[in-house]
Amino acid sequence: MIYLLEDTINGILMGSIYGLTALGLTVIFGVLKVINFAHGSLLMVAMYVTYWTVQMSGIHPYLSLVVVVPVMFVFGYYLQDIVIKPIFKAEKEVREPITVIIVTTGVWYILDNLTLLIFGPQYRNLQDNALRGKMFVLGDMLISVPKFWGFVTALVTAGLLYWFLQRTRIGRAIRATSLDREASSLMGISPYKVYNLAFGIGTATAGVAAVTLIPFYNVFPTVGVLFDIKGFIIVVLGGLGSIGGALLGGIIIGLIESVGPQFMAATWTEAIVYALFLVFLFLKPSGLFGVKYDW
Amino acid sequence: MDKNRQRHILECLAAACMIVALNFAFGHPAGAADKVVKVGNIIPLSGPSASVGQQGKNARDMAVEEINAAGGIESLGGAKIEMLYADSESKPEKGVAEAERLINTEKVNVLTGCWNSAVTYPVTAVAERYGIPFIVPVSVADKITEQGFKNVFRIAAKDSWWTRDQFAFLKDMQAEFGGDVKRLAFVYENGDWGKGFAEQWKKLAQEGGYEVVLDEPYPSTATDLSPVVQKIRRANPDVLLLVSNAADAILLTNTLAEYQVNLKAIIGSGGGHADPSFLQATGENSRYLFDIVEWETDINKPGAKEANEKYKAKYGQNLTGEAVDAYLAMYVLKDALERAGSLDPGKIREALAATRLDSGPGMIVGYDSVEFDESGQNKNASLVIVQVNDLGSGFERITVWPKGARRAGYTPVFPVPQK
Repeated sequence: MIYLLEDTINGILMGSIYGLTALGLTVIFGVLKVINFAHGSLLMVAMYVTYWTVQMSGIHPYLSLVVVVPVMFVFGYYLQDIVIKPIFKAEKEVREPITVIIVTTGVWYILDNLTLLIFGPQYRNLQDNALRGKMFVLGDMLISVPKFWGFVTALVTAGLLYWFLQRTRIGRAIRATSLDREASSLMGISPYKVYNLAFGIGTATAGVAAVTLIPFYNVFPTVGVLFDIKGFIIVVLGGLGSIGGALLGGIIIGLIESVGPQFMAATWTEAIVYALFLVFLFLKPSGLFGVKYDW
Repeated sequence: MDKNRQRHILECLAAACMIVALNFAFGHPAGAADKVVKVGNIIPLSGPSASVGQQGKNARDMAVEEINAAGGIESLGGAKIEMLYADSESKPEKGVAEAERLINTEKVNVLTGCWNSAVTYPVTAVAERYGIPFIVPVSVADKITEQGFKNVFRIAAKDSWWTRDQFAFLKDMQAEFGGDVKRLAFVYENGDWGKGFAEQWKKLAQEGGYEVVLDEPYPSTATDLSPVVQKIRRANPDVLLLVSNAADAILLTNTLAEYQVNLKAIIGSGGGHADPSFLQATGENSRYLFDIVEWETDINKPGAKEANEKYKAKYGQNLTGEAVDAYLAMYVLKDALERAGSLDPGKIREALAATRLDSGPGMIVGYDSVEFDESGQNKNASLVIVQVNDLGSGFERITVWPKGARRAGYTPVFPVPQK
């Protein structure tokens, strides 16, 4: 029983971090209607930024948010503005521009290989940071401290993002564009500016996720790929474009991964995750919180 | 005829004269002038395994240079060894074609190669057909020496011996240091590699009278291994055996430390645990970990350090398991040629089969002698087990087993102290 509780807690904590990694993906999809295949690579870039910030300054990993979030926002903003926007403009008439997906795939490969070229294939991690290896000991239970802070950060980030989209003027503009690109541009909202913003925000949340991962995870050039695949599944489970859905989707996967192995070999939990993904695609393609109708 | 061409011809003539003159000046000693042992080497010099192939070539060249400089093969009147290299590109069909060419066109006396098991395997059949002795320094597939062929001689340990040696090590450690080991846990990546190891572990555990308390495959791409670590913790094994790739080896090592899992020993299977960034990325958490490898630079054998330094000065890299096996292969060949006293492949084969080499510059491997069994497998071959520890200059891999190769002055830490 205590084992089950311990695994459930670990599943929720780790799952919320998965959700956080997928948050940017769902925001970008919700607005641009484009699956961003480079999302994992953006997470990877953010992890390197975090790693070097903390490594060189020696600050508490979470303090690096001050650096990582703005840097990643600017990175995402201009990535969309310079690389992706021209393709969007060229395919103005198409509702779901396939070419953009291909471009994001190109960005993924370029970023991964560029990192490989610059930093080499080494696995790096912050050996001496304030959070590494720390555990809460609750009776016989061990709960990871860095994962706990990851969980808190995920909730706060999702909450802030939700508030921002619901309550602020820019948030409303973003939602308007996501609902109807043509109508919103008639209301005086520049869709491309909104795209830049959405991409920047999505990338910045990948930055937040990177900061939560760094205290206990490795950094290497292809680290993004591991989270990329999970991100897609999470976003489909939760509903494309839904913030709460991403978080919940992440927690579902975290729970399967954490509780599952106590009843079967760890290999099978991966199969269950994919099976669940397929079941959702068949039965409820819009996901848990996705809207049923198409705008 | 223009001027340039005239000059070119003159240059050629001059060069030819020089060569003739040089030949007169430094001519071979009478009798040995035309005696040369032709060794055909099929290794991957381009393609995906080119780097290993190059290491094999460098090590062979270094050994042959030494042998020739020391007077060649005495029993053949100081005959020199001549190396012929053929690039297999890691392709079986290319390897077979090159073997045919080397045997029929180049008339080699001996073949060596091919590193890639997939290439070595079909080449054994070619060598057998022509009756040319084929020395395989390293190709791990078991089946290479299990075809009943008479002309194949493998120096390195085969695949199934990795697990055999992990268990032999465990037994030897208990005999030497006590620490009663009963409960084993097997945790491995869920690919062919991990599953293959696990299958053999299960057999060996049964034979050794151990109890297997956990048998857990996991996906190498896992982003969270704490569920697996929890399983290990709850199964409460004495010793944990692992097969991991790099990212998961690091994650497992760190997570095991976080969850304060107490084990008498953790034994890796190379791969991720031998990754160059593993020690740096695990630091203190990797202390006392054991890992199995083909060879380690600190091996305590006469000549090993010198050979490594020479190799490093020449080629800019440390010797590797592959290179050491290739280096040794040349000395095994020299030893056999001395005893054969003939260039006849049949005679060389006989001499190779009777090999009992336990000293000389080539013996810088972890085990003590080279002797081939009926199948042509070096029956004394073994792997090397290292322990990670910090002796004051950062974490490093220290050879601990076989005992004969253990680093001087180091006492393995077994069982690992409880936290």
